[in-house]
Amino acid sequence: MRVIVPIKQILDPAGFTVHRRLERVFINQENYIINPNDKNALETALRLKDAHGAEVIALSLGESRVDDALREALAMGADQAFLLTGEAFAEADAAVAALILGQAIEKIGDYDLILTGQRALDTGASQIGPRLAEYLGLPQALGVRAVSGLDNGKLRAKRNWKEGYAEVEVGLPALLSIAPQANAPRYPHGARIMNAYREWEVTTWDLADLGLTEEELSPLIGLKRKAFPPERTLGELITGAPDEAARELAQLLKEIQ
Amino acid sequence: MDFSFPKEYQLFRRMVHEFAESEARPLTKEIDEQDRVPFETLEKAAKLGLMGVPFPQKYGGCGAGEMGYCILMEELNKVCPSTAVVVGAHTGIGAMAIYMDGTEEQKEKYLKPLAKGEKIGAYVLTEADAGSDAAAIKTRAVRDGNYYILNGTKTFNTNGGHADILSVMAVTDPSLGARGGITAFIVEKEFPGFRIGREENKMGIRGSQTAEVILEDCRVPKENVLGQFGAGFITFMKTLDIGRLSLGAGCLGGADACLEASIQWAKTRQQFGVPIAHKQSIQWMIADMATEIEALRSLVYRTAWLVDTGQPFTKEAAMCKVYGSEVLHRCIDKALQIHGGTGYSRDFWIERGFRDQRITEIFEGTSEIQRIVIASNLFRPEGVRISA
Repeated sequence: MRVIVPIKQILDPAGFTVHRRLERVFINQENYIINPNDKNALETALRLKDAHGAEVIALSLGESRVDDALREALAMGADQAFLLTGEAFAEADAAVAALILGQAIEKIGDYDLILTGQRALDTGASQIGPRLAEYLGLPQALGVRAVSGLDNGKLRAKRNWKEGYAEVEVGLPALLSIAPQANAPRYPHGARIMNAYREWEVTTWDLADLGLTEEELSPLIGLKRKAFPPERTLGELITGAPDEAARELAQLLKEIQ
Repeated sequence: MDFSFPKEYQLFRRMVHEFAESEARPLTKEIDEQDRVPFETLEKAAKLGLMGVPFPQKYGGCGAGEMGYCILMEELNKVCPSTAVVVGAHTGIGAMAIYMDGTEEQKEKYLKPLAKGEKIGAYVLTEADAGSDAAAIKTRAVRDGNYYILNGTKTFNTNGGHADILSVMAVTDPSLGARGGITAFIVEKEFPGFRIGREENKMGIRGSQTAEVILEDCRVPKENVLGQFGAGFITFMKTLDIGRLSLGAGCLGGADACLEASIQWAKTRQQFGVPIAHKQSIQWMIADMATEIEALRSLVYRTAWLVDTGQPFTKEAAMCKVYGSEVLHRCIDKALQIHGGTGYSRDFWIERGFRDQRITEIFEGTSEIQRIVIASNLFRPEGVRISA
């Protein structure tokens, strides 16, 4: 069983502060981390490796510094890592990113499962999973909180559904986007951290390796302007004795509904 | 000269930092109050290779050398000096003695399970009348066929009450003393005649256990002689040499925690209508802490580089220990002063940090012994031999 996990490297939110009045972002320490939700996808894959001996492949698109994210994935337990990098990829929006990742996944081939994080912490777009599934023509289950069964080429998963969950069954190969509450990702083992940089390789593919042309990579979305969202006004403050305040709050909530 | 950490060490530091914050932090108060060794943290640490960081991977370690081990000690001490001292006594001296002078068979049998954290190690030297004067030990080892029979009482043994494998120093020829008369042994707690004595009621690092080890006709197989017969004093001193570096790294972590807490407190604590960070008296204390910490950091990691590149490091490692413990002394004192009454309260960690700090100037060679080591290394090339 081969599981491919596309991951995204993002700027560590602990390293910058947002100054709303000046409408500026101050970067105190430029550190990069794996998008936390993508680690949930990787952890799901690694548990399939622990339980079923799956081969786990991590894949990422970005600048050369993304190499660190992939080595961290190797340290956590991934068997192989692929970095898709090049100037032509720099302007990729979600549609183009899905195209590039999709090409790379086709090139790796012979896969059974693609696991993505449900949402990236920086853009919050939640597009890569669905777009990738469409590109590859795979069935998809989004917002999966647990893989609950795997047999005879079929996988059962619990996906978030309203207040609870829905249990779905998909034939493999398939794509799942993994919800943030699915698991607590493991720490990488100390020896694997050393090996990830000293012993193991990250394979790098560029435009030509993926058989793509620059024309195919024109983004659908163009960035016109960046702006801070309008400041939200404070809500209504309910005061008074607890039972009265609770009654008033309940009344307000009913009206909203 | 490149002063940046290689990438593998940056990721390793991040892992250890997250581990310490998530796994060790929640237990720090409890283990101090209950005098309890955090075995659950040790089990989790073992799964990540953190009980054998400096040793090669072929012996079950991480292969991260002293650089990696110093990072571990720094990050653990930032959060929990008790947890750090348990890991430190196990790795930095207990297992280290076997790594440095053990045979391949001994490394296979003892170092591997220690490095993997399946077994806990300890380093057993001190006696009632032999502390700084380590060569004055009285514990005797006498040959009996294929065994040595050990008799004596060892005091102040970190992990002594729960270690599985102990590196022990004993006298094999009283007429020769430190020069040929002392031999190191690997002792298992299951060996007949091995017993745990009184447990110390300590001022600090109360989440670690310090116990007496009593050897009463303890039968140790002759293949458990560690290093050369009669050269045990050298094995033990070599081990302490390297151990001093990581103790300096631990002090670096503790001092950094003092600085961080002091900055945060000075930003938020208001007196006379302004945060106390605006007061020059506070600024100077914080500036002095930061300066000493930076100097210590350079000393520690340069010394780690000396060790990992196979260069002499004895003098520098002693400097790490004495300077580190005294920087930590000054930093925790200043941090307590900056925090005022809050720092003195048991509700906040500074009070515990103050108690935990004091031992760093005593254990594994007092500050006075470190200065002797430094001075003797400075005078030896001048033809002057210094003895204690």
